[in-house]
Amino acid sequence: MTDIGKNVLQKIKKEKIQPFSKKHFFLKKSFIWTLFGLSILLGIIASSVTIFQLKHTDWELYDRSNYSLFEFLAMAIPYFWLIFLMIFIGIAYNYFRRTEKGYRYNTLLIITISVIVSIIGGIGVYQTGFSEKLEAVFQENIPVYRMINRGRHRMWMSPEQGFLAGEIKEINSAQEIELIDLHGNNWIIDISNAFWRGRLRSEVGLEIKIIGKIKVEGQFVANEIRPLHGRLRRGRGRRLRSNRWNETP
Amino acid sequence: MLENPTYNKYENMSDLELVKLSLENKENFYYLIKRYELKIFHYIRRLTNVSQEEREDILQDIFIKVYRNLNGFNPNLKFSSWIYRIAHNEIINHYHKNKSRLKAFSLNLDNNDVYHLDELISDTDDIFNYLITHENADKIREVLAKLPNKYREILMLRYLEEKKYDEISDILCKPPGTVATLINRAKSKFKKIAKHHNLMVNHD
Repeated sequence: MTDIGKNVLQKIKKEKIQPFSKKHFFLKKSFIWTLFGLSILLGIIASSVTIFQLKHTDWELYDRSNYSLFEFLAMAIPYFWLIFLMIFIGIAYNYFRRTEKGYRYNTLLIITISVIVSIIGGIGVYQTGFSEKLEAVFQENIPVYRMINRGRHRMWMSPEQGFLAGEIKEINSAQEIELIDLHGNNWIIDISNAFWRGRLRSEVGLEIKIIGKIKVEGQFVANEIRPLHGRLRRGRGRRLRSNRWNETP
Repeated sequence: MLENPTYNKYENMSDLELVKLSLENKENFYYLIKRYELKIFHYIRRLTNVSQEEREDILQDIFIKVYRNLNGFNPNLKFSSWIYRIAHNEIINHYHKNKSRLKAFSLNLDNNDVYHLDELISDTDDIFNYLITHENADKIREVLAKLPNKYREILMLRYLEEKKYDEISDILCKPPGTVATLINRAKSKFKKIAKHHNLMVNHD
């Protein structure tokens, strides 16, 4: 065997090879930890919106609907955010494994801890109201998101079952409003005996869900009115004109 | 260099001390190379079927990589684990670079290696008592050659390089629990292949 030591030293000298600096390794480690932290943070945000959407699913209406439990759950699960949550947990796991001692920990343990941290953090973020705002931003600006989310409101597009949702187009009187539903159809809503959930009041552009019954074709009698997304979110006139529920991404 | 008194001075130093000295003066890196060149050379030989010349090239690349990364060595880790990790990665890189003509993780065990596998016998089933005998060296090679790479390498590290579970964990960057599982699976796979190919022999 040739003298490898001698050859290596010759190559080091000839090619002026230098060891990477300590700073190089410090920056590399910091970069990995930053990406890990960022992934966990984004996972927490995804988890907070998931919690928000689950919390604002009308679970109590399952009994009143004609949907099977499977169908109801299929509508209620916030796939978009759950997929994001899983992606960020996956990325966080990947970066954690690249940390100095990350490989020593069991995969299941790392993923379980990431999920727990995401859920606990998600509950905290949800309580600040940030998840609702973020969901609104997505709803407002991302057509694909609106399309995916539309499935969650499918139940509210069955007026024959007593569920209707849409945006208030006009307020005709204290007893009557005009609504454009999620399919873009116009409805006259009798609100004279309606119970408005929380501090919700009729307002043009407001997105609402109504429990009631069909009076005649195009007319609906409201028993209860709820905000469509979470608490109070007002739509905008321009959205009425663009008939956004029917747009394709 | 090996025989001179300077070398003896360095011989008694710890790996970490040699790392520090190599960073101060590149000439000192020579003593670190001397300490590990044979071990790493055999590790490469066991996992590749390349020529002696190419093996030396891989070895040289490994030590250049070690030198470049000296500042990144974590003193909480055993230096030997760290250098084996670099060697493991470099062998894989070398294989990917020369995929068309090379076979990494092919078997290249000499008789001595096979006889050393007798530790494999001591803590496992009787089957190995039958297999690991001087007469059966070829059969051992045959069984090992049929093992998937991940199992073969872990058996090499455990029984030929004589690494502890924690060290293997640091070399392969896998949790110690996974290492233990892999070793157990490798052993049982070894046994299964031996049985399947009628490689068991009678002692009589």
